[in-house]
Amino acid sequence: MAAQVEAKGGTITRRDVIWSWVLWTFFSHACYNYERLQATAFAHAMTPIIRKLYHTPEEIAAALKRHLVFFNTEPNVGGVIHGAVIAMEEQRANGADIDDDAINSIKSGLMGPLAGIGDTISQGTVTPLLLALGIGIAGVSAAAGTQPDLSQLTGNPLGAIVYIVLEVAVILALAYFFYMQGWVRGREFVTDMLRSGALDRLITGAGVLGNLVLGALAATFVAVYIAPTVSVGAESLNIQRDLLDKIFPGLLPLGLVLLTWWLIRRGVSPIRVLVVYLVICLVGAFPFFGEAPQYVTDKCGSAIFQPYGPCPPPAQQGQQ
Amino acid sequence: MRIPIRRFVGVALVAAGLLAMLPAAVLAQDGGEKITVSLVQAALIGFGYYMAQGPWLFGMGFFTLYRPLVAGFFVGLILGDPAKGTLIGAAINLIYLGFISAGGQIPGDPALAGWVGTTLALAGNLDYGAALALAVPIGLLGTVIWNARMTGNVVFVHYADRKAEEANIGEVARANWLYPQIYLFLITFVPVFLAAYLGTGFVTDILNALPIWVLNGLAVAGGVLPAIGIAMNMRFIFRGAVIPYFFLGYLMMVASNRSLSIVIIGAIGLALAYLHVYFVGQRERGAAMAAAATAKQVASEMKSGTEA
Repeated sequence: MAAQVEAKGGTITRRDVIWSWVLWTFFSHACYNYERLQATAFAHAMTPIIRKLYHTPEEIAAALKRHLVFFNTEPNVGGVIHGAVIAMEEQRANGADIDDDAINSIKSGLMGPLAGIGDTISQGTVTPLLLALGIGIAGVSAAAGTQPDLSQLTGNPLGAIVYIVLEVAVILALAYFFYMQGWVRGREFVTDMLRSGALDRLITGAGVLGNLVLGALAATFVAVYIAPTVSVGAESLNIQRDLLDKIFPGLLPLGLVLLTWWLIRRGVSPIRVLVVYLVICLVGAFPFFGEAPQYVTDKCGSAIFQPYGPCPPPAQQGQQ
Repeated sequence: MRIPIRRFVGVALVAAGLLAMLPAAVLAQDGGEKITVSLVQAALIGFGYYMAQGPWLFGMGFFTLYRPLVAGFFVGLILGDPAKGTLIGAAINLIYLGFISAGGQIPGDPALAGWVGTTLALAGNLDYGAALALAVPIGLLGTVIWNARMTGNVVFVHYADRKAEEANIGEVARANWLYPQIYLFLITFVPVFLAAYLGTGFVTDILNALPIWVLNGLAVAGGVLPAIGIAMNMRFIFRGAVIPYFFLGYLMMVASNRSLSIVIIGAIGLALAYLHVYFVGQRERGAAMAAAATAKQVASEMKSGTEA
């Protein structure tokens, strides 16, 4: 090598790619912005590669500008794009016929699908699953909604620690794996991976797990209790406890989740949904049917909605 | 480039709100037995919120400190009660269970709700409904900080463009990792520090003045709001042939009277995911083989037909 110093090109070592991965993983969202999202972070992650491959100011400027264009993907699974682009830059600098368009089309063509896949895996499945685990350990279980007074409960800090350890381990392992695979096996690997259906199987599997977990979380943590009763003969029946839950237990929370999903899918902004729900909850808690409550749980049936669990049957309520 | 004026209006509103807290905090000094947040503690809490948004933890801030469960734990550590801090953080986290950030948009700021919400709830000795009562509007307010960040950072992108023209690799890198951090620190540390230091007395006094039915309503909302996070997550994964698994998960929990551990659900989910992918794959392979066999048969029939 020393005898034949190349004016053009260079060799990328594993160390360069690992350094690039470290820069990307640290700073992928350091300059996140509405105009070009992760553009500067992509260019930043490419700086060790550019330093190695390009030596004239013109080449360096061109390479920097090539990677300062709009870019946005899920930073961990999407790292496979960076790996593939590094492989392409290496070939290009050493004389292969790869133009700007080829690199741009790999970036813009893959960032969308991989954002979808990455979000499904990291934010859609792994994070809620581990959060639910941590929240359970912390002491807020299914009983969360039935315990108005947090001072009566003691929490467990282990919930947060277990979550941190597991989450970081899973996410970093995913990120490193995809970045390195992209580099070692190149863009053919990425396009093949998309074409062969291996990723389809992965995303279907994640969809199965994610749906099961989300369904379980919905049943555990979404709670709606309505107070009104209807009189049937001498008995007064609570609409929810004695009618709806007899037909299908947990019907109201499930209906609420599906309604919310339908609204958001139709393009209603989640923040608008949140504000509307908040107003409905407040109005529904106003004591239309009786005197105003003196403590957070002491009146049952004086409003439409009931916090902290279903109303006890009337006889029991009298005893309390 | 679109930078709606309302984002700047939003930033101005937050600034005005924080200024308005100053006299209120002075007025509210005759409060009851609450934990007072010292200057150092408030600074640590503000720093924690900055770290949740900043890149310094191997980029893992978003997956750890950004979550109210973790924020609650650290606020608890700072204020001397990690067990209760974790508990409050976990309760606040329920609203953001399905939180998903996609395409640069966030539907609320779990980190601000976690860091400030836990601080105020812990310092004011609030109950569940009141803690949520705080967390919801604080989380909404956090989107203003997010928008300020996403809008302001545009300046550094244009700076990077200029330096790229000059082939200045170091400056392009610093335009990404260094300069935006100074700005981010200002818009995250300062408001949280002020809210933690000055807000506690003020906010708890307001909550104590509210009628009970409002707190009840907010507690009801605590049961309803997790549906939004879950629904946002469903937008990504509740589609196609895997939809029934959502109802299966729901029914497993309801049928077990909500006593199944999430670890068991996760393990069953992994098994089902394997089976689903395996059988779908086998059916496709079977279909492909059948198609190939038919084609072969047709070909041989045609061949024998021409021979006959």
